[in-house]
Amino acid sequence: MSPERWERLLREVVQIGGVRGAAVVNADDGLVVHEAMMDELSAGDVAALASAVVLRSAAMLRALGEPVTRMVTLTATAGTVVAVPGQHDLWLVAVTAPAAELGRLRLLLGDLVPELA
Amino acid sequence: MRSDAGHAFLDLGERLRLRGQLEAALSVTEAGAGRYPTLAAAHDLIGRIRADQGDDDGARAAWITALECDRRSLGALKGLAFLAFRRQDYGEAERRLEAAALEAPHDVTILAALDRVRLSRPAFTEDVITFEDPAAALLLFDARGLHLAGSTGESDRPAESDIASAAAIGVIREAERAARLLDLGSVRHLLIEGTTHRIVVAPVAAAGGVMIRRPITAPAGRVIALAERAVDTARTWIEAG
Repeated sequence: MSPERWERLLREVVQIGGVRGAAVVNADDGLVVHEAMMDELSAGDVAALASAVVLRSAAMLRALGEPVTRMVTLTATAGTVVAVPGQHDLWLVAVTAPAAELGRLRLLLGDLVPELA
Repeated sequence: MRSDAGHAFLDLGERLRLRGQLEAALSVTEAGAGRYPTLAAAHDLIGRIRADQGDDDGARAAWITALECDRRSLGALKGLAFLAFRRQDYGEAERRLEAAALEAPHDVTILAALDRVRLSRPAFTEDVITFEDPAAALLLFDARGLHLAGSTGESDRPAESDIASAAAIGVIREAERAARLLDLGSVRHLLIEGTTHRIVVAPVAAAGGVMIRRPITAPAGRVIALAERAVDTARTWIEAG
């Protein structure tokens, strides 16, 4: 995928109300492939930490007989991390403020999954 | 109903049931089930005969057995939903039909029944939170990842609850680390969605956590709300225990 296409994709995500930033990360090594961070968030931190969470979550799902993970949503008191998988260990990760439009974000990320392929 | 060679008793039992000869139907089917004890269709048919006889407890036991033989048995899922609806347990009826819809997503009779149950359900009623009922698919585990109570579902495989407990505490710990380092505050819950199920895991203070597992047809917001209530119940359960 071209850098322009990554940028367009991430721009769509960060335009949703309450989204602080978004990144495409490689879950295998926890590195940033592309980013669109809006505030003081470090894309590197988000990539490394979100990768660890999605890998653990996917492993748990596999242990329960589900080979495919479609979305992981971590909700904390001061924000949310939403991650959807693409191909080749790429995940699209968004970090939001507590009052973000989570329903809209989930739908958009679901729609964008084929583009990560 | 069409049956495989060797399972002709299913056709005979069903014909007798439809004719209203329930005792004869039961006798034939129970004999067949004795010969093929792991055949879900036999237990499903016994469930329908028992339900026709008005023996809800017997029907439920038969359908539970059918699910133990085949966790995807549509007849058993629909039968258990029917019994739950009849006793106005709309939460269980909805859960059973959601599981059935997962197996047969284009079956309009199941989707219509699901709509009917949801419409019948009074607004703002809440599912009962219990860790004792395997059908609730609620799991409670301690801070070391040891299984305390509940299960991942009534048809879970041996040791599945132990595996789920150990895995879930690892997920919670990783989430807590991420939330702390990203300044996101305390973890409330994780919603992990696969192709067939939604799973929510949530910490119960420092005492451990809960897991709830529902078919993907269950609304995400409702599964999360249920998990949040389960956390409160778990806290009480642990303090009382």
